[in-house]
Amino acid sequence: MFESLQHLINGFAIAATVQNLLYCLIGCIVGTIIGVLPGIGPIAGIALLIPATFSLNPTSAIIMLAGIYYGAMYGGSTTSILLNVPGETASVITCIDGYQMAQKGRAGPALATCAIGSFIAGTIGIFGLVFIAPPLAEAALAFGPPEYFSLMVFGFIVLSNVTGASLLKSLMMAVVGLIIGTIGIDPVTGDARFTFGSISLLSGIEFVAVAIGLFGIGEVLINVEKPSEMLEQKVLVPRLRELYPTLQDFKKSISPILRGAGIGFGVGLVPGPAPVIATYASYMIERKVSKHPEEFGKGAIEGVAGPESANNSACQSAFIPLFVLGIPFAPPTAILLGALLIHGVSPGPMLIGQHPQLFWGVIASMYIGNFILLILNLPFVPLFANILRIPKKVLLPLVILFCITGMYTVNNSVFDIWMMLLFGAMGFLMRKWAYEGAPLLLALVLGPKLEIAFRQSLMISHGDFGVFVNRPISMVFLLAMAIFLIFPAIRLMFKKSKKGGIKS
Amino acid sequence: MGKKVFISLFVLSLIMVMPIHAADFPTKEVQIIIPWAAGGATDLIFRALAATTGKYLGKAVVVVNKPGGAGAVGYTEAMKAQPDGYTLTSGITPLTILPHNVKTAFTYKDFEPVINVVSDPGMFLVRSDAPWKSLKDFLDYAKKNPDMITVGNSGAGGGVHLIALAFEKAAGVKFNHIPFTGGGPSVTALLGGHINAVSVSPPEGIEHVKAGKLKIIALFSEKRFEMFPDVPTVKEQGVDFAMGQWRGLIAPKGTPPDVIKKLHDAFKQGMDDPVFRKNAKDMAVNLHHLGPEAFGKLMASEHELFGKLIKEIKK
Amino acid sequence: MNRDEIAGGIVIFLFGMATALLSLGMPIGTFRMAGTGMFPLLLGILLMSLSCLFVFKLLYQGKKTIVKRDSVAMVSGPPVQLILFFGTMVLATAFFNQLGYPLTSFLLLLMLLRTLGMKRWTFNIFLSFMTAVVCYFLFVQWLKIPLPKGWIGI
Repeated sequence: MFESLQHLINGFAIAATVQNLLYCLIGCIVGTIIGVLPGIGPIAGIALLIPATFSLNPTSAIIMLAGIYYGAMYGGSTTSILLNVPGETASVITCIDGYQMAQKGRAGPALATCAIGSFIAGTIGIFGLVFIAPPLAEAALAFGPPEYFSLMVFGFIVLSNVTGASLLKSLMMAVVGLIIGTIGIDPVTGDARFTFGSISLLSGIEFVAVAIGLFGIGEVLINVEKPSEMLEQKVLVPRLRELYPTLQDFKKSISPILRGAGIGFGVGLVPGPAPVIATYASYMIERKVSKHPEEFGKGAIEGVAGPESANNSACQSAFIPLFVLGIPFAPPTAILLGALLIHGVSPGPMLIGQHPQLFWGVIASMYIGNFILLILNLPFVPLFANILRIPKKVLLPLVILFCITGMYTVNNSVFDIWMMLLFGAMGFLMRKWAYEGAPLLLALVLGPKLEIAFRQSLMISHGDFGVFVNRPISMVFLLAMAIFLIFPAIRLMFKKSKKGGIKS
Repeated sequence: MGKKVFISLFVLSLIMVMPIHAADFPTKEVQIIIPWAAGGATDLIFRALAATTGKYLGKAVVVVNKPGGAGAVGYTEAMKAQPDGYTLTSGITPLTILPHNVKTAFTYKDFEPVINVVSDPGMFLVRSDAPWKSLKDFLDYAKKNPDMITVGNSGAGGGVHLIALAFEKAAGVKFNHIPFTGGGPSVTALLGGHINAVSVSPPEGIEHVKAGKLKIIALFSEKRFEMFPDVPTVKEQGVDFAMGQWRGLIAPKGTPPDVIKKLHDAFKQGMDDPVFRKNAKDMAVNLHHLGPEAFGKLMASEHELFGKLIKEIKK
Repeated sequence: MNRDEIAGGIVIFLFGMATALLSLGMPIGTFRMAGTGMFPLLLGILLMSLSCLFVFKLLYQGKKTIVKRDSVAMVSGPPVQLILFFGTMVLATAFFNQLGYPLTSFLLLLMLLRTLGMKRWTFNIFLSFMTAVVCYFLFVQWLKIPLPKGWIGI
């Protein structure tokens, strides 16, 4: 352990050279610009700057790429808060309370809290990496197909009702999301499903199209349907004092941030779309733990602080499987894998031993990147918040252009834009009829993986459903799910009998 | 100092407004679609190649993963892409296998060959602490317990799956095949002990064999590995079987021949680059260059071969 | 208000039923070797059950239910504005490839601004033009993102 600390300090020495700091800065700036545009994620940004990394040594190259990765994450939160447009999966939850805060004139505190929370989570994440990384990576291996399935079903059921509205309605939206996720090619056999002969549908419906459609376009349409006087309005113009978080905000946010960091770190170790799940889990827990749960959904700062921190620390711990096992679990880490290969460094169990300066240099620079982003973003908070001063009737068309542009850049496909519009209409209807979009999106992300895990488990067990309960980890999740579902029903019965007792 | 100048020039050039000439290829980055999850053999090899080819091509080469359906998702998308040379995909053995098994929208004929990069044998890996110490143990157990040994693969109907099926026939046993979305996930499952063995092709699992966590229980090549000279091939142990995979790059049909030539030449230089050669050696992959025509002929003959083989296996 | 909710529930039920019926047309296989249609079939049946449960719960609770509604969403102005706005978006998407990005972005903004009640043409044209130009330079030239070139060739 002390050796790790020693290495980390060396890592900082490497990362803090003027050259490497410069690369980190460039990466962060490019990343932020890219992250702000919905649709283009860290992947495109990293791709853009790869040529510049050819002449760099591996450590510097990866430092720059990591800077882009983080910058994009920060940028994504900005559009979620200001415009209700989630740039990527992990920003969806931030839309829920972040946007509401912005609508109430509190965009500044929301943006600032994101930056600060992410930074604190990053700090905690670094300590986690130093002290507990390798053994945890081994633990992640214990998850086989049946464990994945049970974990996902559990997470799914629990997180479907992330916003606390009607459980039944949320579950229905989740199942709809699962069904939409089956459109395309069957991941196990390769046959086409629900494509009605269309080649465009063979790749399934792009997640970004659904996300931007349901949240961004849906919100715009809801606004457009208002009488014109309302469109003249601008969002409450914040005074300078109100642009930054108050002491009370800090007090309210600190626990969610700490909790979020812990949750994110743990969730990030499990292969799969960890940052997304981490944000949903954090939101859910904050809502349950809060003394004022009714504020969630209307602009509770805890609903922004927790998920954003979870997001950041999940991204940190996602690097662990890459460096320790040599297996990237998410596209951005896959790109980093490519960058490592540039210089003949094959990630795997031997990486940390053979190239400690690389590993720790990267970790140190990830932290520095976090710090740089904090410094970059905080002064920009007033600038971003002032975007909301634009009267709605000018802002809304701009948002539409923004969304269409971003959507197209994902796959260069007009079909995706059509999908976005379709889901925009659906999002509009859903808002009118009080259905939540968050469960649907989570289901869209988890669905295909859930199905693969289900079928793999049954193939291994020759069709025996017992495989899900015979294994301890899997059993634990299923039990937890059962308790979660039955608990409200039991409580209801208990309350009824209590009432009856008092009356008589 | 030179590096700083390079960086500033690069950034400066991005800021300057430059008109785009359609005639100059390439004017933007080239994308390689890998129809498997990140971390698998194809993914690793082409990421390494993309890294070194960029400077010879003049533009970045970027790898994008589109896993699913044993390659069907990625290949379908690559087939639909514009034949302008900016979207390529990894043409590997499964391309000539899949269409015989499943009704796909594509066959190898929907693509133009650009270059072949490697030719590697298939192999089975098990954990170092597995109860089987040799191929003989493994096959004896399999004969006594048909359909019990779980063997993971990178996708139903894909290359290593077929190698495993063909091996079954040659050895006279039956395994329980479990599909994953790529080589990476299947090796992970083996490491975690959720499956008994995995059917792969280098460099999948090589790092773990080097580290002593996994061992090669069956090697389907004609010669032994340079890197692991103590591992006998199955031929040496009495099973007359050798099968491997080739991996190359292909472009959508209709890509102009001069673009293909430019791509081929750049990638060949990337292959010859010392950094790539070192990577390949570390990954224990066998470089085997073929130009567009030779590669095209290879794909055609493999397509025929697998058509016959699959009919045999299904009997 | 409850009638709305029940209608919503029925729509969802029909969606579930359509899914289940369509999946029957695909190979289902067994649990040991699940076919393509198995998962969607199970999902369709699940959705039908959930929506039935939902509708019955509503009917059972009758007038007592007060459904929580989003106060912002419930305010409604004239639908014409919405239809024009959405219609413009649809048209822009339909002609996106032919017109090319710069032209489409210009026209889109122009029309949308007009739909929302901006009456001063000079201001509209100026804003739309400047935004389209900025976007063009930012995305097409600087970030080198491939956006369609229309008949004006850029």
